[in-house]
Amino acid sequence: MKNRFIPLLVILFGSSLLFSCMDEVNSTYTFRTMMPIYLEMKDVRAKLISVAPAQEIENPGKIYLYKDYLLINEPNQGIHIYDNKNPANPINLSFIPIEGNIDLAVNSDILYADNYVDLLAFDLSNIRNIRLVKRVEDVFNHLYQHSTGKIITFKDTVLTSESPTWAFETMWTVRPNMSLTSNMAKASQSYGTGGSMARFTLMDGHLFAVDASTLRVFDVLNPAEPKFLKPIELGWGIETIFPFDQKLFIGSNRGLHIYDASTPAAPIRMAVYEHVLSCDPVVVNEEYAFVTLRSGNFCVNGVNELHVLDIKDPYQPKLKKAYPMLNPHGLGLAEKYLYVAEGKHGLKSFNASDVLNIDKNQLEFIQSMKSSDLIPGPKSLIVIGPDGVCQYDYSNPAKLKKLSCIQVSNPIEVS
Amino acid sequence: MQKKLLILIALIFCGLQISLAQTKPWMTQLEVGLLGGKTKDLWEEKTNQRTTFSFSAFHGKEVIRNQVVGIYLGVDHYPSVTLIPIGIGWRGFLGKKSGPQFFGGLDLGYGSTVLEKVDRTDWSSNWHEAGVLVHPEIGIKLPAKRGNWALTASVGYKRQPTYYFEGAHSNADSKPKIPLFRTRDVLPKGFSSLNSTSILYHSLSVQVGILF
Repeated sequence: MKNRFIPLLVILFGSSLLFSCMDEVNSTYTFRTMMPIYLEMKDVRAKLISVAPAQEIENPGKIYLYKDYLLINEPNQGIHIYDNKNPANPINLSFIPIEGNIDLAVNSDILYADNYVDLLAFDLSNIRNIRLVKRVEDVFNHLYQHSTGKIITFKDTVLTSESPTWAFETMWTVRPNMSLTSNMAKASQSYGTGGSMARFTLMDGHLFAVDASTLRVFDVLNPAEPKFLKPIELGWGIETIFPFDQKLFIGSNRGLHIYDASTPAAPIRMAVYEHVLSCDPVVVNEEYAFVTLRSGNFCVNGVNELHVLDIKDPYQPKLKKAYPMLNPHGLGLAEKYLYVAEGKHGLKSFNASDVLNIDKNQLEFIQSMKSSDLIPGPKSLIVIGPDGVCQYDYSNPAKLKKLSCIQVSNPIEVS
Repeated sequence: MQKKLLILIALIFCGLQISLAQTKPWMTQLEVGLLGGKTKDLWEEKTNQRTTFSFSAFHGKEVIRNQVVGIYLGVDHYPSVTLIPIGIGWRGFLGKKSGPQFFGGLDLGYGSTVLEKVDRTDWSSNWHEAGVLVHPEIGIKLPAKRGNWALTASVGYKRQPTYYFEGAHSNADSKPKIPLFRTRDVLPKGFSSLNSTSILYHSLSVQVGILF
């Protein structure tokens, strides 16, 4: 009996030595990149812009407060309109689809919004019937790809390749928090009182718009008829613009530019306060400018500080004191109180009346509220963070009370 | 999560054993053996022979005469990873129980990578995953002269996909979560890039064991 099976065993084991299978090995590389997209402006202009029903926010960019309305930009997509009469319950009203839109500002019921190289003006006087009233063509022409006459824009995309090297040779491989969308979302938020990361701002009947290197001035004395006046070259690395007392405070990644805008059509440089390479939104009161410097993104020096500048003589801004911070992004000033968005670390409030002792007068530090920018509005402190747009009752700056949060479906990553 | 899953399956395994012991005939088969195959080098045009160790435990009940269905648990070592395969199995026997029998078997399961460490730094995370295993086999059962046990010998084919991921974090300050089960070529949240190497192991299994 035993003998019958021995040959079979030998065959079975022998076959294992003779027979073998080949493994299948594959390697893929999946990466986030920015895909260039080329567009003809005539095709963009041919599309009818009609206001759409309310849509969920995917990835908020700039926030803007006008009267009782909260406008939230969706970078490169358009603008969400919220009724914010009751900050505890903002109501999503509608969405204006605007391709290539990054910035916005509102002047006397006229909304200005960029549409790639064009500036659009919408009439908001009837919020249920928003109309496009004016298109100023070819003003933001830095977006033109001059070799082709087309505009170039980038789309955040995830690609998979069989070969990692191919990606490095042909694509821009980036970290998501360096991508166009999130940078625009972070670097361009809010206008008006306390808005610190705006790239559009209004003052004395003029609209001022900055891109990476140029300040563009529009005459909006007749709000519905914006007229492009002139471009002013500022140098590279321009990030934010803040108007105060007939002056423009322009934050760049190398310093703070102060412009005399008492003749708004022809701003004149007063001074440049230079610092180390860093990202720096700015807010201002009569005597001091508050500038945050942070590491991250393209600002690689690793400095995270709040600088207080004495600007009593705007021709000679002087550093009054620098305070260490964790990773400050946007900031806002409401009377003597200063609010700082500390990125993923949270939200801080200070009593800034004694500029030499701001650190000793920290009132609250809400670590749960990750934040990238804020607007101290008349009814609420509006804070944008990775989890959404939240509003706080800040009648007591030492104890902020959360009123509401608009959740977003694809939150930006705060570095 | 994987540990919890393993504990759950182990409990079911034990529970089934107790419950089956009280009712119908049940069977346990413990096998050790070798997994053999050839691996092609990803960068060079050459093949390497691989021979690795395998252990498995099958426990089931006879649902109809000579047909046993049960649970399968094991340890499979491959050159790149050591897996705990868990799943269900079948054994079908041919011939009289009193004498030597041919048998066929099929194991279906999932290869758990619970034994593998996730390698994490501020900037990157590297980890293993595995997929669904299929293991058909044929063999013989040689009953002992005394006692209710038998020796077994079997050969089979084992198909086991494995994956190795090398992910770069989007943000050095926050380590992203590693998804439990991932779809290949999809970038998980919190990662800026992911290098994915998949190895589908086609192995010949040669095992000996005891059955009781």
